[in-house]
Amino acid sequence: MAADNHHHELKVEKFETPGNLKTLIAVLSVIGLLTFAISWMKSPERLWPAYLTAFFFFSCLGLGGLFFTAIQHVAKAGWSTSIRRYSEAMTSFIPFIFIGGLVLLAGMKYLFPWADPEVIASNPIVAAKTSYLNVGFFVGRLVLFCGGWFLFKHLIVGNSVKQDITGDHKLTLKNLSLSIGFILFFALSFTAFSMDLLMSLLPTWYSTIFGIYCFAGLFQSSLAFMALMIIFIKRTGFVKGYVTVEHQHDIAKFLKGFTVFWAYIAFSQFMLIWYANIPEETEYYIMRSQNGGWLALSFGLLIFRFIVPFIALLPRGLKRNENHLILVSCLILIMQYLDIYWMVYPNFFDGQVTFGVVEIGIFCGFAGLFLWAVVSFFKKFSLIPIKDPRLNEAINHHVTY
Amino acid sequence: MAKKKRYGGYAGIFTDEAKVVEAARKIKSLGFLKFDAISPYPIHGMEEACGIPRSPIPYVTFGAGLFGMSFGLWLTWWTSAVNWPLNVGGKPFFSLAAFIPIIFELTILFAALTSVGALFYFCRLPQIDPPVIDPDLTCSKFAIFVPENDVGYDEAKLAQVFREMGAVETKKVAEF
Repeated sequence: MAADNHHHELKVEKFETPGNLKTLIAVLSVIGLLTFAISWMKSPERLWPAYLTAFFFFSCLGLGGLFFTAIQHVAKAGWSTSIRRYSEAMTSFIPFIFIGGLVLLAGMKYLFPWADPEVIASNPIVAAKTSYLNVGFFVGRLVLFCGGWFLFKHLIVGNSVKQDITGDHKLTLKNLSLSIGFILFFALSFTAFSMDLLMSLLPTWYSTIFGIYCFAGLFQSSLAFMALMIIFIKRTGFVKGYVTVEHQHDIAKFLKGFTVFWAYIAFSQFMLIWYANIPEETEYYIMRSQNGGWLALSFGLLIFRFIVPFIALLPRGLKRNENHLILVSCLILIMQYLDIYWMVYPNFFDGQVTFGVVEIGIFCGFAGLFLWAVVSFFKKFSLIPIKDPRLNEAINHHVTY
Repeated sequence: MAKKKRYGGYAGIFTDEAKVVEAARKIKSLGFLKFDAISPYPIHGMEEACGIPRSPIPYVTFGAGLFGMSFGLWLTWWTSAVNWPLNVGGKPFFSLAAFIPIIFELTILFAALTSVGALFYFCRLPQIDPPVIDPDLTCSKFAIFVPENDVGYDEAKLAQVFREMGAVETKKVAEF
């Protein structure tokens, strides 16, 4: 009941990492480092595709956090104020996109055919694209994008945490214009980023909707992670009253909406390529349908990334059920990994489905790093933007049925 | 449901949004079942305060959507593969990928139009002679109305409760 929501206890405590989470982060990091070191020496051709997949997955989560924060500022949203710290925490991975990207450069010759002079010499189509696809420009773009993202993260999140101390309302207005700038920059830079990292794995192929396809996955998975964070922090009990089932409900609605958005974009890409039937475009889907494993995964994406989450998030009661939302969010995160895997791996190992310890180990390593970044942010700052002028609106937030 | 018999009753007029929600909760706790709250705009928490169950419209929408989807599937199959098969670009007569936009649009069309229809039905719209308790209820005032056929209807008691809850006016209403 709304009026009851107005009177419940408000409490926000300093975040302390629960012991089992600490252990988890340590174990994940050690597994990641060991896998990285061993496969660096023994099988670099296995290492780099796994690295790229996991790197892209967590870059998406980091950027998705900043994108969510930015759209809340731009929409002057009040309801999400009390969960904004959660999305801001995700942005603390953004500096690691730059570091991870630099490490990725070491594996370029294993990953990108256009970085191989022999391929350029033998393939005129690839040769014609080298004015864009060359190592120097690639690195330049990477530095530009990561620099821009870091700058916007630094300013937007910086203003938000500064407000915790000063309580200055002008900072909220500043974040509005910064967020508009970020969204413009993000639209262009993330499109190019996904083209550089994933589309250029097959330099003869192109799809003009590719950037938005990657964005759809980025935002869907970021919302799933935010739903998990809301439930996690609620269960640890550091925050009471500020974040309620109403916020969980609205994030779940967002999640359902962008589940549909992903399907819409994925189908738009597939249908146009299938209908036009031009060899240089159909190549991509042929690679993902000839081998039984890839065909199964292609249909798996349709079923478990769209149909199942869509139906599972349709009833109101299920969106407000914590255990149910945990299950759906985990499914969506797994499918986001498999989606990136599906984009990366058919280009390697002669199109054979290859999955094993290396992929899992590298993913664990990145997961450890990501969780560590999020937890460090929570330890450093208040879990709630306590002096935000719109916080009152979030506390009284109530979803009408 | 479209024709509802009108009853007279007793109404309390309020000028404060918070007070009218409290009043609705109070009236509900006194055991009244058929009362209604009237306000110029939606008030958060009023549904719960009055004990109004969820609207059945989402279920109507879902059903209509399913029907639209099945109809779209049948329509594209029957027109393209049965009644007038045409070879388009060497694709199979029944090409699901090409039909999905049509199926999708028909799903949305049926779901949306049926929802609007259901809304009109459940809200008894259009109403050409709406009863008027107070002309300002569409502008600046709020009201709680208890019909005379409700359980435990007692005008003197209601007047007292409304006053206690901060009503600026209480009055007997001929019909609503």
